[in-house]
Amino acid sequence: MNNWFILAQALGLITILFEFASYQIKDKPKYFLAQGAGSLFWTAMFFAMGMASGMDTMASLIVAAIYSMVRNLVFWRIFAQNTPRSKEFGLNFLLAMIVVALIAGFFSIMNAPEQVRWLHIIGMITALSFVIGQYLPGVHAVRITVVFYAIAAMLLQTPLNILYGDFRWNIMGILIEVAKIASVAVFYARFSKDADDPVLTFAKPQLEAQK
Amino acid sequence: MFQLVSDGGCEFTNEEAQLHKVDVVPFYVSFDEKTYLKESIDIAKDEYFRRMQEDKELFPKTSQPNPQDYVDAYRPHLEAGKDILSLTISSKLSGTHNSATLAAEMLKEEFPDRAIVVIDTLNSALGQNLILREVVKMRDAGYSLQETAEVTAKVLRTTKIYFTLDTLEYLKKGGRVGPTTALVGGILGLRPVLHLVDGEVEQLESVRGRKKVMQLMEEGIAKAVKDDKENINLCVGHILSEEDGLSLKASLEKSIGTEITTPLTEVGATIGTHTGPGALAVAYCMKYETFVS
Repeated sequence: MNNWFILAQALGLITILFEFASYQIKDKPKYFLAQGAGSLFWTAMFFAMGMASGMDTMASLIVAAIYSMVRNLVFWRIFAQNTPRSKEFGLNFLLAMIVVALIAGFFSIMNAPEQVRWLHIIGMITALSFVIGQYLPGVHAVRITVVFYAIAAMLLQTPLNILYGDFRWNIMGILIEVAKIASVAVFYARFSKDADDPVLTFAKPQLEAQK
Repeated sequence: MFQLVSDGGCEFTNEEAQLHKVDVVPFYVSFDEKTYLKESIDIAKDEYFRRMQEDKELFPKTSQPNPQDYVDAYRPHLEAGKDILSLTISSKLSGTHNSATLAAEMLKEEFPDRAIVVIDTLNSALGQNLILREVVKMRDAGYSLQETAEVTAKVLRTTKIYFTLDTLEYLKKGGRVGPTTALVGGILGLRPVLHLVDGEVEQLESVRGRKKVMQLMEEGIAKAVKDDKENINLCVGHILSEEDGLSLKASLEKSIGTEITTPLTEVGATIGTHTGPGALAVAYCMKYETFVS
């Protein structure tokens, strides 16, 4: 078996751990840190997969993964600082990221084989929704949008998109997306009663008195 | 018995101030930066906010009472042989504490036998209101100036105020949020929840929709205070939003399982200039009795 393919699977396993963990985290900075770490391994996995099966169909996924890593790490700092200035910067950064994603998405769609362009268009739309969902307050928007994004990303890693070569099913890539969906399901099972909790945490007066 | 003095940040109505024998030193407000009006004396709070509501371009300025205002407030009581306990809005929000302290120093030589204690409440609006109510109770219960000041320092550490706004426009005008945040927040219908941390305004979170933010405030605050419901005082306030204020108060009473005895309070210009009409606020603090044996 191709060594690059084996490496891709190993990197994918690490990505799964981070992806699953991130959707169990309610705190935004911690969520973005876990996502940023996951995206790093995700990028490496697509690169290895590209080396194994050809870069043409993986290029858009590599770009998406790098974009995701940078975005998550910047958002991590923005939400950790949590100042009006950092939030303003974050929002401008988000808008810039949307523009970059639209341009990159356009080129990746144009470069994709004609018969799979529809899938890349869906991928771009769901990715944009997810990016916005990540930035929105609360715990729900990001989890709802990631499910749609994961489905689209999953399809991009099947013979629907990988048209040629020996490895037309990127099993690990698919498992990563399944892990996201499963993690969202587990999150709602765990926190069905108080999913909104971290949105507004108010100080307990008794604890303040003891400080 | 000592005399209580507070700046206008305490949100006492003129009637309440008279009833509780508190001298309120008002803030100044100005719509044109030329004419400064004394809040609640020259211009009523609701009038002030109605003008803001009617003219969206208007961004009035507030100005702290100057040291002379405090000298004028302190002097008659010192002449009458009374000591003074003076509460001020957070020194991180206004220079009022500085004015009050300067005035106290200016009068020290003239009245060497009298004491003036100036306390920075690290709070404003409803938070300052609750602290002042506790201080009034201590004074009326016969506590000395020193005892009251010591317990007040403990009470104010437990005092928390949270407020939500109906629009981000006034935060933008005040430079507390950037133009992109205000624009996108407005499109998404975001309602920020702000609070005071060590006397400074910080954003706790943003929530989509007025109804949702009211529900989350009610649930979250009820959860935070429920275990201490016998030992806390709570206050709900609003700016030109009496109906929502009453609704929030009623739902909090139901969730906590106790009556909120502090009347629904109209928030004034010190906070209101940055929040604009439609703001809702909730504050709570531990009762002074929990700190005295």
